[in-house]
Amino acid sequence: MKLKLYTQPEVPLEAECITPGVINKLKPKEVEKLKIYHGNRERDLGDFFKVTNGKSDILEVEGDMHKIKYLGANMSCGEMQIEGDVGAHLGSAISGGFIKINGNAADWIAPEMTGGRIHITGNGGHCIASAYRGASKGVTGGEIIIEGNVKNELGHAMAGSTMVVGGKCGDFTGVNMISGTILTFGEMGIRTGAGMKRGSIICMNNIEVLPTFSYDCMYTPIYLKLLFKYIKGNTKIKIDEKFFSGSFHRWSGDAIEMNRGELLVYAA
Amino acid sequence: MKINNTQIVDTYAEAFSMWSAKVIITAENDYWAEGAARAMTGMATSVIGCKCEAGIDMKLTPEETPDGRPGYSILLFTMDQKSLAKRLIERIGQCVMTCPTTACFSGYDTKETVNVGGALRYFGDGYQIGKKIQDKRYWRIPVFDGEFIIQENFGVKESVGGGNFYILGDNVKNCLDACYDAVKVMKRVENVIMPFPKGVVRSGSKVGSKYKDLVASTNHIYCPTIKGVIKDSAVPDNVHTCYEIVVDGADESAVSEAMKVGMHAAAKDGVVQITAGNFGGKLGKYKFFLKDLI
Repeated sequence: MKLKLYTQPEVPLEAECITPGVINKLKPKEVEKLKIYHGNRERDLGDFFKVTNGKSDILEVEGDMHKIKYLGANMSCGEMQIEGDVGAHLGSAISGGFIKINGNAADWIAPEMTGGRIHITGNGGHCIASAYRGASKGVTGGEIIIEGNVKNELGHAMAGSTMVVGGKCGDFTGVNMISGTILTFGEMGIRTGAGMKRGSIICMNNIEVLPTFSYDCMYTPIYLKLLFKYIKGNTKIKIDEKFFSGSFHRWSGDAIEMNRGELLVYAA
Repeated sequence: MKINNTQIVDTYAEAFSMWSAKVIITAENDYWAEGAARAMTGMATSVIGCKCEAGIDMKLTPEETPDGRPGYSILLFTMDQKSLAKRLIERIGQCVMTCPTTACFSGYDTKETVNVGGALRYFGDGYQIGKKIQDKRYWRIPVFDGEFIIQENFGVKESVGGGNFYILGDNVKNCLDACYDAVKVMKRVENVIMPFPKGVVRSGSKVGSKYKDLVASTNHIYCPTIKGVIKDSAVPDNVHTCYEIVVDGADESAVSEAMKVGMHAAAKDGVVQITAGNFGGKLGKYKFFLKDLI
């Protein structure tokens, strides 16, 4: 199925129903009758999107959707290809399937994610894969790859996912992290890994390490070779050959928490 | 039937069902990868006395391994799936994890798996770290030179053990030359191992024994020294030496291919006859007819 945005909403549109699991079971006319929220008013999906039958099972969505929220929310299977920028809460509570965005994404991508994969070729906003305010735990599974830059609080209280950022990260990356992996290739903001319990934050650029982290050693983590190989084979992120065989400084922290997390920072 | 001047006996090699795992061992360089591979496949010639059969399948280039380092693929066979997990845990734990710079991965991508890394992780004494890349989980176990990386689950599959053929020659030298040439080409076939020393067995066995506690004993009909005292000797008049090449494979086609190239390489001057271990169905369900292979 293919959805093409033809009317730009005046206020944010909440389109939780745009997922392969919902759309692919329906005929185009039925899809057009699906209900979405334009601000606080219920509207038909067909009021904004032109719906046509696609050539494959992949749900294709096209247009400048920076005002459209909750695309791919609660997705559990299938594949969704988005051409254009997307609004906040993309892939909210996703548990399976694959979303590819050829464009930029707004804030709060994939909150409450438990599985599946999201691949953003552009930049991401604030609080990607973050726990909602007041929640003790954030995302618990799955994988998010962002080829561009992201803003603050990437992976706040994440517990088990894998995040890869090809560009810069804002402040508080991996704050209160419980487990999982964050791999970044660009410059980092301040207070990386503050309050982390376990998990790994891997940085290719030098960072300002918090005083509550203790230095362990310099070594070559073999695990990173696997991760780099996977990233190289599945994204356009440029990975310098020197990273594959390079050494990394390892710090353990955060001592204000369990002290079982690790910062791996490329040394040479 | 003949290849060159060597007679190919119209018989079949009787083989049996085993379970196998393929283990990829990598290391900083070939020296250490080979060291771990050889240690892991040591004393693993026959399930009769070693609990498993194992050998090096292939030497791998960095491009062929999961972590881009030099490595070896190893095949390990046991009689059942449960014991396969035990042998993998023992041998990887004692021979691979102990070897400097190594890492260990599953070479099969099968539905059926056994938990190996998930058991060995406890060596980390609570400091181990689990990491997932796509659907595969790996364990990082802290060791003296950094971390030992091992995949949690290893793929396993029902396979073929005991494929074989016998080389009967006019003397030891000619027979050994034929064995050497045969094993050399068989090693190039993927997914097979020849688990005995340099791929050759001189103490080929038969099922059972006159002694009730023994499950296997010398296949006396191919022993030249007792040709005169037994009535059922299979050693022809002009033969004074017999050797067996045993081949275990991931599947029937791999065993067939290895036997085929091996027999063609072995059939040369001084080799009078090539035959196979046929036990009339007592040993196993697989039959490799020599005439079909050549």
